[in-house]
Amino acid sequence: MPTLIPTAESGARAVPVGLTHVDPAQVLLPTEHEAFLGGTGLNGPFVADLLSDMTAHERGGVALYRSVGGRTNNPVLKQKYGHFEDQTVEHVEVLEALVGRLGGDPGYVSPAARATEKAGLGLIESTFLLGGSVDLMTQELVMLDAVLLAEAKDHANWSGLAQLVDVMPEGEVRDAVREAVERVEPEEDEHVGWAQHMRTKLISAQVRSGAVQSMTAKAEEMVARVQGLFS
Amino acid sequence: MSFNPLEQAGIPVDEQFRNWSELNVTPYDKATVDPYTRTRVILMNGIEVESIIFSHQFARHTDHPELKRALATNRRVDAQQQKAVNGLNPGDQNPLETTVGYEQVAVDLTAWLARHEPDPMIKQALDFALLEDFDHLYRYSNLYDLLYGGHADEITQHLTEITPGRPTIVEHRHPHDEVRTHFETHTVDPLTRMHVMTITAAEQQTMNFYMNHGSDWIEPIARGLYAEIALIEEQHVTHYESLLDPLDSWLATWVAHEYNEVYLYWSMLQHESDRRIKALWELHLNMELGQLQVACDFMRRLEGREPAEMLPGTLPDTPVTFEPNKDYVRRVLAEQVDLRADGTDYVPVGDLPADHRYFTYQDTVNEGGAPSEQVIDEARAQKGREYRDETEGESPVPDLREPAASR
Repeated sequence: MPTLIPTAESGARAVPVGLTHVDPAQVLLPTEHEAFLGGTGLNGPFVADLLSDMTAHERGGVALYRSVGGRTNNPVLKQKYGHFEDQTVEHVEVLEALVGRLGGDPGYVSPAARATEKAGLGLIESTFLLGGSVDLMTQELVMLDAVLLAEAKDHANWSGLAQLVDVMPEGEVRDAVREAVERVEPEEDEHVGWAQHMRTKLISAQVRSGAVQSMTAKAEEMVARVQGLFS
Repeated sequence: MSFNPLEQAGIPVDEQFRNWSELNVTPYDKATVDPYTRTRVILMNGIEVESIIFSHQFARHTDHPELKRALATNRRVDAQQQKAVNGLNPGDQNPLETTVGYEQVAVDLTAWLARHEPDPMIKQALDFALLEDFDHLYRYSNLYDLLYGGHADEITQHLTEITPGRPTIVEHRHPHDEVRTHFETHTVDPLTRMHVMTITAAEQQTMNFYMNHGSDWIEPIARGLYAEIALIEEQHVTHYESLLDPLDSWLATWVAHEYNEVYLYWSMLQHESDRRIKALWELHLNMELGQLQVACDFMRRLEGREPAEMLPGTLPDTPVTFEPNKDYVRRVLAEQVDLRADGTDYVPVGDLPADHRYFTYQDTVNEGGAPSEQVIDEARAQKGREYRDETEGESPVPDLREPAASR
C-alpha cells in the first residue's frame, strides 16, 4: 500500500521555502536535492519537485474517488469511481517506485506538491461544503465536475511526462520514466475521457428531462432519478 | 501508559449532554487549591474556548446539513465542558487573582512545552514569548500588591518565581515582526503540532480574558496595565498561530483539535491531586474520545482520507505537566532577555538598525510612558519596594535586579 498521507512517521521530508519551516530532522538537504538525476543533463531538482507534485495529485485523486464514491447515489458512477480509485492508488505506487528507482526520496513533499495538495483539498471541499444548497442531481454534477477537473490535470501531468521521455537522453532514467508512462497513461486517457463523456451525458439527461429539478423535490424521487441515470 | 485514541469509542456524543446542576459545579477553594489545579482549570478552559471558536468558524464556511449539525452538537458539548471547567474558578477569586493564575499557566506551560519541544525553531518561539509572560506575572503581582496588599506568592505557592522577565515595555513590536515561519504539516512531529495548538489556545484565552477584564477596574493604573498586556497577548496569538501550517483542511484541523483535546485531558488526569476534579478530567477525556470519532468519521466520508494515516499510532507517552521550571526559565532569561524579533528572525536588540520599525513602533506606543513601568514605580513609591518572589536568588540578569534603594 502506498503512502496516501505523508507524515514524519512515514518518512516525509520537505525543503524550507519562504514561510515554510521544516523540522531539521525532516529536511531534504540541498545536496540531496541537487544530486537527483545528477549526470543526466536534466534539471534534477525540478524533476524531483515535479514528480512529488504528480504524486500529491494522485494522492488527492484517491481521496477524491473515495469521497465521491462513498456519496454518489448512482450505481454506474459508484462502480466507476471505485474502479478508478483502485487504479489511482496504483498510480501513487508507480510514482513512488519511479522516484525510488531514479534515486530520489518517495517521501519528499515538494513546494509544488503542497500547492497541488491545497488545490486538491479545495476541490474535494467544493463537493461538500455547500452540500446544503444543492439538490441531489446537482450534487452528482458537482462531484463529477471535481473528477473532471482533477483528471484534466492528471492527464496533463502524464502526457507532459510522456513528452519529456522523447527529449530525455537514452539510459536508465529515460527507460524508467517511459515504463511508468506506458503503465499509467492509457488509464489516464480513460479517466479523463470517461469524465468528459459522463459529464456530457449527465447534463444532456437533465436538459432533456421534463421533471422539475428543485430543492423542494422529494428526496426519494431525486434519489430514484439519480439512481436511474445511465441505466 | 499511552494509548491510541482512535481505538477508543469514548462516550457517544448524543449521550454527552448534562443538566444545569451538573454544569453548575462547586468551585475549588482558592485558599487551599493546588496552584497547578488552578492552572489546569485555566488551560482546559482555554482549550475548550478555542474548540468552540474553531467550530463556529468552520460552521460559517459550510452549509452541509449533516456536517453543520454534527459541528453544532460537538460544539454544544464543548460549550458545556467549558462551563463545567471554568465554573471551577471560585467567585471569591477576583479577576486579578485569576490573572496571576493565567500568567502562572503562561510561564509553566510555555516552559514545559519548550523543554519537551523537538523542533528547535518552535522551541525558540516558545522561549521568546516565555520571557514576556514571565514579566507579565511580575507586573500583575505588583498591581495585586498595590490594589489589595496581596502577595501573589500565596496564589503561586512559590512554584513559579516572580521577578522581571523581558520587560513588558520593550515587548511592543511592529505587527510585521510577529509573523513567524510555520511548520510543514507532513514533516512536523505530532508532538510539535499539539504543542503549537495548545499554546495558541492558551494565549488566545489569555488575550480574551484581558480584553474582557481590562475594564473591570476603577483604578487607571489597572486599566492601563490590562490594556498594555492584552495587546502583548494579541501579539502572542499572532506569533503562535503563524506557526501552524495553513495547508491543513477544515476537516483535518477539526480532527487535530479533537485529538489534542484527548491528549490534554489525558495529561491533566495524570497529575491531578483533587479527586473530584480528576474525575471531571476523566469524564471529559471520554467525551473527547467520542467527539474525535465523529470528526474522524466526517474526514473519512467527506474528504476521503483516513485519519489514522495522519495521526500518530499512540498518544505521546509524556503528559503535558504543570511543574516548576525555575532553572529553565532563569537560563532562558539570562541568555535571551535582549532578543527582539526582526521579521521571522530573533536578533539581539543591538543588531537592529536605528531606523528599524521596532523603534518607531516603540516610540509610538510608549510615548507618555507605559503602565507596566508605572505600576512598578507606583509600588516603589507607595510600598517603598517592589513585589518579587525570587526563591532561587537574585535575577540572573544584573539589569533586572531590584535597585538597592527600593529593597
